[in-house]
Amino acid sequence: MSAAVGEPIIVLEDVSRVYDTGKVQVPALGGVNLEVANGEFLAIIGPSGSGKSTMMNILGCLDRPTSGRYVLDGQPVDELDDDGLALVRSRSIGFVFQSYNLLPRTSALDNVATPLMYQGVGRKERLRRSQATLERLGLADRLHHIPSELSGGQQQRVGIARALVTEPALILADEPTGNLDSHSGGEVLDLFTDLHALGRTIVLITHDIDVAAAADRAVHLRDGLLQEAVLA
Amino acid sequence: MLGDLIGLALSRLRTGKMRTALTMLGIIIGVASVVALVSVAQGATKGISDQLQSLGTNLITVSPGFTRTGATRGAIGSATTLTLDDASALSTLSDVQTVAPEITTSKLVIAGSENETASVIGTTPGYLSVFAYQVWVGTFLNQASVDHNLRVAVIGATTATNLDLTSSSIGSTIYIGGLPFQLVGILQSKGGTTTADDQVVIPISTAHELFIGSDSVSAIGLSATSQDAINTVSAEITTTLDQRHGITSTGTADFTIATQAQLLGTVSSVSDVLTLLLAGIASISLLVGGIGIMNIMLVSVRERTREIGIRKAIGARGRDILSQFLVEALALSLAGGIIGIGVGVVASFGIGTYAGWGFVFNPVTVVVAVGFSLIVGIVFGVWPASQAARLDPVVALRYE
Repeated sequence: MSAAVGEPIIVLEDVSRVYDTGKVQVPALGGVNLEVANGEFLAIIGPSGSGKSTMMNILGCLDRPTSGRYVLDGQPVDELDDDGLALVRSRSIGFVFQSYNLLPRTSALDNVATPLMYQGVGRKERLRRSQATLERLGLADRLHHIPSELSGGQQQRVGIARALVTEPALILADEPTGNLDSHSGGEVLDLFTDLHALGRTIVLITHDIDVAAAADRAVHLRDGLLQEAVLA
Repeated sequence: MLGDLIGLALSRLRTGKMRTALTMLGIIIGVASVVALVSVAQGATKGISDQLQSLGTNLITVSPGFTRTGATRGAIGSATTLTLDDASALSTLSDVQTVAPEITTSKLVIAGSENETASVIGTTPGYLSVFAYQVWVGTFLNQASVDHNLRVAVIGATTATNLDLTSSSIGSTIYIGGLPFQLVGILQSKGGTTTADDQVVIPISTAHELFIGSDSVSAIGLSATSQDAINTVSAEITTTLDQRHGITSTGTADFTIATQAQLLGTVSSVSDVLTLLLAGIASISLLVGGIGIMNIMLVSVRERTREIGIRKAIGARGRDILSQFLVEALALSLAGGIIGIGVGVVASFGIGTYAGWGFVFNPVTVVVAVGFSLIVGIVFGVWPASQAARLDPVVALRYE
């Protein structure tokens, strides 16, 4: 069901998001247009307060735009209900978070297997696929460790394994290196480059222009508006 | 999926053992008290019914009516309106098997160096079958002893013990109201705590002659041919006695008819109320236990806000989160319920053994108790679980 290479996987048309705080209307995104092609590695660069989190929430189908159209992997998602959005997240999106967001007191293997549980995949199959994914990311000897027993870099690789295991159309990474030292951060970025080389579509949201350099295209987000950036 | 949720719930409950145990304690106490109290109520009922049954289930007792002094009504049995002739008239009724008129008085009974004031009952040989007694040793009164006003006595098991009389005492002389009687038999104990075993039985003619001075009777015991005939027989007795006593209007009868069935009915309706009352009191602790579950689940939802956000981000729908928390609440209440049944059964066994009515185990109580704890789990788990399910993933993910 994924689009062919080069076809757009994300289409944002005049997407805005206005937060209604009761007294004032706070615009976070004001009419954003964006296309991300299948197989592309895009960086969205923005300082804090630029609407980065809002962008991430909308792209990740955690939130709905106030107006505008959002088509993900051929499916309009801007008017889906909560269950519909959950289904899109389950099937089409893999999240990588700054603070890893692994389930505490849960083994690496079970963490990676959890998205498959919500897809209704049987336990055996879940564990088989999760183990294979973790092994691919060099965590074969860490399957039964819980997050607090792993280093930051290892935790983030478990997080990436969790995002990959469902083979989603889009991998959405929010400051994935933000909590890591430069060495581990470099390894994580190399991992994204490898995944991109294998044909994965990746959208990386960061404030750091050096991190964005790993991508093959970058856009700047300023005051809720996008503009193409030139990568060094 | 359900299996996965149960696995999740169990591992979650295992990680917080102390909290899990304390939360379950409320349900354990609730279910245990429901099981134990209902079992105690039923055990007590069974004990009472057994004693009533031991008196004979086909038994009908006719007692004299009340005396009336001006406008004041005396107690049932205060009149001496029944006579031996009434008894013989009743013995001719079709569905009556045996008739035993009796006259009761209280006398000092002396045997050797022992003595006690016992209830002395003058009656006929029919007494044995009507009141379902059995002779332990010796014989019961025979017709000849009644026909010839013989001074013979049969004593109850408790009386025998009190007076230190045993099987070797048959044929010896005991003194009733200062007069010598020959001991001809000892009755078998009926068990229980009734006074039915503490009595001295002598021929009714002897009692009339020596102690009463008239041929009045204090009650007439009848056994019907079957339990089904009891209502027919009661009606026949009423007609016969109305005729003999010249009673024409209802409400003026000078006698009262009581059947064992009526008594049993009264006992069982009293015990139903008792059971309900005890179960109701016990349910309150179950309710409190349920509130404990709700409290801990609400705390849990708050603590795990971020986990809920993560789960939603990676594809969980609201209903997945709802079922996860609901299964957890149900696991808590069900585990508490099962342990509670164990505790309740042990407690009711202990109480039943101590009180002497034995152990009454009612599987219905167990089913109801488990059902009740499941309902408690659902009722008190739904709200926290729906709170969790409704969390906005954006907010939940940012929660610290």
